Amino acid sequence: MRDPVSIVMLILLAVLAYLVIWPFFQLVINTFTWSEGSRRISREAVPGQFTWFYWLQVTAGPISGKMLYGPLINTLITGIISTILALIAGGSLAWCIVRSDMPGKRWLQPILTLPYILPSFAVALAWETVFRSPKVGGQPGLYEAILGIAPPEWLSYGVVPISITLAIHYFPFAYLLVAGALATIDSQMEESALISGAGKLTILRRITFPVVAPAFVAAIILTFGKTIGQFALPFLLGAPTQFHTVATMIYANLALGLDSMAYVLAVILIAMSLLSIWLSNRFIKKKSGRFETISGKGFRSREIALGNWRWFIFSVVSLFGFVVGILPIILLGVQSVMLIDGFYGLENLTSHFWIGKSNLNIAGGEPGVIYNKIILGATWNTLKLAFLSAVFASVIGIIIAYIAVRRANNPLAVLLDQIAFIPFLFPTIAFGAMYLTLFAVPVGPIPALYGTFTLLVLISVVSRLPYSVKTGITAVTQIGQELEEAAEVAGASWGRRFRKIIMPLASSGIMSGMMVSFVGVMRELSLIILLITPATRVLMTAGFGYAEEGLTQLTNALVLIVALLTISGELILWKIGKGRMARLREKQS
Amino acid sequence: MENWQGAHGALTRKTILKGGGIMAKISIRNLTKRYGDMTALNNVSLEIDNGEFLVLLGPSGCGKTTLLRCLAGLETPDNGEIIIGDEVIFSSKEKIMLPPGKRNLGMVFQSYALWPHMTVRDNVKFGLDVIKTPKEASDRQLDEVLAKLGMGDLSERYPSELSGGQQQRVALARLLATKPPVFLMDEPLSNLDARLRMDMRVELKRFQSDAGATTVYVTHDQTEAMTMSTRVVVMKNGEIQQVSPPAELYKQPQNTFVADFIGMPRINLIEMQGDGQIFSNGDITIDFGWKPGIKNVVLGARPEDLKISSNPKAHGETYRVMAILPNGPETIVQLQRGKTVIIGRIGHDIIFEKNQEVKVTYTQTSLNVYDADTQNLISPINNI
Repeated sequence: MRDPVSIVMLILLAVLAYLVIWPFFQLVINTFTWSEGSRRISREAVPGQFTWFYWLQVTAGPISGKMLYGPLINTLITGIISTILALIAGGSLAWCIVRSDMPGKRWLQPILTLPYILPSFAVALAWETVFRSPKVGGQPGLYEAILGIAPPEWLSYGVVPISITLAIHYFPFAYLLVAGALATIDSQMEESALISGAGKLTILRRITFPVVAPAFVAAIILTFGKTIGQFALPFLLGAPTQFHTVATMIYANLALGLDSMAYVLAVILIAMSLLSIWLSNRFIKKKSGRFETISGKGFRSREIALGNWRWFIFSVVSLFGFVVGILPIILLGVQSVMLIDGFYGLENLTSHFWIGKSNLNIAGGEPGVIYNKIILGATWNTLKLAFLSAVFASVIGIIIAYIAVRRANNPLAVLLDQIAFIPFLFPTIAFGAMYLTLFAVPVGPIPALYGTFTLLVLISVVSRLPYSVKTGITAVTQIGQELEEAAEVAGASWGRRFRKIIMPLASSGIMSGMMVSFVGVMRELSLIILLITPATRVLMTAGFGYAEEGLTQLTNALVLIVALLTISGELILWKIGKGRMARLREKQS
Repeated sequence: MENWQGAHGALTRKTILKGGGIMAKISIRNLTKRYGDMTALNNVSLEIDNGEFLVLLGPSGCGKTTLLRCLAGLETPDNGEIIIGDEVIFSSKEKIMLPPGKRNLGMVFQSYALWPHMTVRDNVKFGLDVIKTPKEASDRQLDEVLAKLGMGDLSERYPSELSGGQQQRVALARLLATKPPVFLMDEPLSNLDARLRMDMRVELKRFQSDAGATTVYVTHDQTEAMTMSTRVVVMKNGEIQQVSPPAELYKQPQNTFVADFIGMPRINLIEMQGDGQIFSNGDITIDFGWKPGIKNVVLGARPEDLKISSNPKAHGETYRVMAILPNGPETIVQLQRGKTVIIGRIGHDIIFEKNQEVKVTYTQTSLNVYDADTQNLISPINNI
C-alpha cells in the first residue's frame, strides 16, 4: 500500500534504531572487546577478541577502588544528600507558592527557577569564586578575601560543595514536580478537615502531605537519577582534590586514553539511571491509582492564610531566591571584570576580558570576548547548533508524535514512540560516550563523524527527541481526528493535510518546543564534551576548557553569556505562555 | 441536472459525467469489519436508492457509525464490496480501496470538524481548492452557498466566534460547496439544543432534497430518524435488524428488538402461551383473531393500542391504575393486572386517579405477534 505515513514510519524506525539502540549495544560490545590501545596495558590483548578484562579490572582489579567503588560511593553520597536538600527546598517552596497566601509570588516564581535554567556549571563556578582554596593552587576566593583565612577544604571541594550546588541546580526540578501535584489538591478536602476541627499543621501532615506523597517520592527518585549523570559540576568542584564521581571518572579515563574502562563505567552509570527511573515508574503506577484525587465538579483551590508569618516567610523565600538565583549571576559578572583573579578592589577592575585585545601579560595573551576568535567561533557554533538541533528535533518530534497518536493501534508506531523516548534514560555523558564509539570509524555508507559538527547536531537532536515527541503528542492529541478526516473526505492528500491542518494547528506547540530545545541545547555540556574538537567548540565547552586552564575570568564571561542567552530564551517562553512556569500557572487557575 | 453539470464542468466528478446525471445509487454487499475480537459489522448488505434519505439508527456500539465511515473510506472493511453509482469504491476481493477524496462524497461530522485556524470562507473553500476549482467559479460558488445558508455576513469569522447553530451551518456549507452526489452525516444535530435541532431538521431536509443527493445519516435519536428519513435502517451488534420506511418501522417492527427500540414510551412486550388464537400469560387473556400456529409467543402492543375505559360496565379485563404521568398533549398511565404491568397512552383530557380500576381492551388489528424462540414477527397473512 502506498501509504506515505507508513513509509515515513519505517524510515524513522530504521534511523532511530541506528541512532538510539545500536549505540548502546556498540558501547556494551566495546566493553567486552580488546581495543587497539590496550596492548600497552596488557600483554594478553588481542584487538577485536572477546575479553572480560575491562570488567574485571574495573570491578575487581587492584585499581577498582579508585576506578569504580570510590567514585560510586561518592556518586551515591552526593546524589542522596543533594536529592534530600533539593526536595526539602523544592517541596516547601512549592507549598508556599501554590497553597499559601505568601506575597510576591508572581516574581518569586521565575527567580526560583533560575538555577535550573542556568547551566549547572554556573552555580559551581559561583561557588568556586567564593570558596576557592589556594591550597590547591590558584588565587584565593571571596571567602578568604573577606575573612582573611582560607576556607576549610571540605567547604571548597568534595562532598559538601558538590551536594549543595547540585541541590541548588535541581531544587527547581523537585519544586515543579511537587507544585504540579499540590495544584491538583481540592481545597474542599482540607476544608472538610478544618470543619472537623483540625489545625493547620494537622491538615498539612494528615491530608496534604499524604496526597502529594506519590509525587514526592517520584520527585526524589527522578532528581536522584538526574544528579548521578551530572558531569561538569562535580568535575569542577571535585577534580582538583581527586574527588571523582562515576561521571567524572568516565571523562578522566577517556582523557587518559583508557577508553574501554570509561565505557564500562558508562554502562554502569546507565544501569543506575535505568534502575532509578524503573523504580519511580513502578512507584507511580502502584500508588497513583490509589491516591488519585477525585476532582469532579466544584474543584477549587483555596490559599491558606499564613497570618503573622506571611512577611517572615516572604523574606526567607526572597533571600533564598536571591542567593541561589541572582547572586551566582552577579558573582560570575564581577569575576569576569577582575584583572587579577581573587584580588578584590576597585583598582583591579578591568574590561579586558570583554573588550581587551591580546596582551601577553594577561591570561597568556588570550584576547577579550569580542576579539577572541575562539569565543566568537564558539558563540557562532553554539547558536548554529542550538538552532539546527531545535528545528530538526521539533520537526522530527511532531512527525513521530503524529504517527504515535494517529496510528496508536499499529505496534510499529508504538515502538517508534518508545525508541524516541530511550535517550531520556541515558545519562548525557554516557550517551556522548556511545556516540564516541559509534562514529569513530566509518560503517558502510555512514562516514566517521567524529570531530564533525554534524555529529554534534545529531546527538543533540536525538537527545532532545524524548521532549519534542512529548510536546508533539500534546499538540497532536489536541487536534481532533475529525478535523483531519474532514480534509481527507474533501480529497486532500496526506502531505496537504499535514501542511494545511496539522502543522498550523500544532504550530504554537511546536514553536515553544523549539524554544525549549534551543535553550536546552545551548546550556548542554556533558552530552557533547566527549565529542568536541577545537573546530567544533561551543560556548559551554570553551568555557570548560578555560576553566581547566585556570582562566577563570574568561570561563565566567562565557558562562555568563550562556546564562543570559538561556534566560532570554526562557523569558520569551514565559511571554508566549508556554514555559514551565506558565504551564504551572495555568494549572493553578 | 443542469446545475450539477455547470458546477463541475469538466472537473473530477466522474460519475456525474458518465451518465449525464447523478448516478449515486449505493450498493453495500456482505460488508464485514472487525476490531480485534469485536465484530463491528457482520456481513451487512444494503441497497440505497438514488436521492434517498437513509437513516442508520441504533444504540451506541451497534455499528452504524462504522458503516458510515466504511462508506466514507475512513475505515477499511475486512470483507465485502461497496459500489457507488457504477464505480466499485471498495472490494476486498479485487483489492480496491478508493481513498475518501476519490469517492465523490461529502461528510458532516458529529463535532462539525471545522478547522479552527481558517475563517468560515476558507473552511468552505478548502474542498474547492483540493479539486482545483478555478478562482472565478470557486468564488461564485462560495458566495452562493454562504448566502443560501445565511452565512454571508459571517464569512470572515473564525469558527470559535460562531454559535453552535452557526458552526453547524458552516459544516453544511462545506458539504454543499463541492456538490457531491452523496452526503454522509454522522449525528450532525446531536450537539445542538433541542429547539435548534428541530429547526435544523427541517432545513437539512430541504437542502438535501434541493441537492437531490443520496444521503446516509447516522443518529441514535429515533425522532430524528422517523421525521427525516425515506427509509430507516435499524442496527444492533453489527447486524441490520430491519430496513423500512418510518411508518412501517413503527407499525410492524420485524423483531422484538426493533419493537422495543422504536417508540416512546416503549412498546408492551408480553410473553404469552396458548393454542389456536387465544393466548394468556395467567393474568391477561387476548384473542388475536388469527392463529400464529405456535404455542409460545411474545405480544407487542403499543401504548396507544390499548383502549382504556373508566366505565366499570365497559367491555374488557379489569386493571388497576398504578401511576399517571401527564406529558402535554397525552398522558401515560401504568396499569397492573395480577403481576403484569403495562403502559397505556390516553388523551390529556381524560383524568384517572391512582388505584382506580379501569377496563382495558386491545385493538386487535394493531397487535404484533412474535415467536418467543426466534423473537421474529409472525405475519398473520401467512398463518390464516
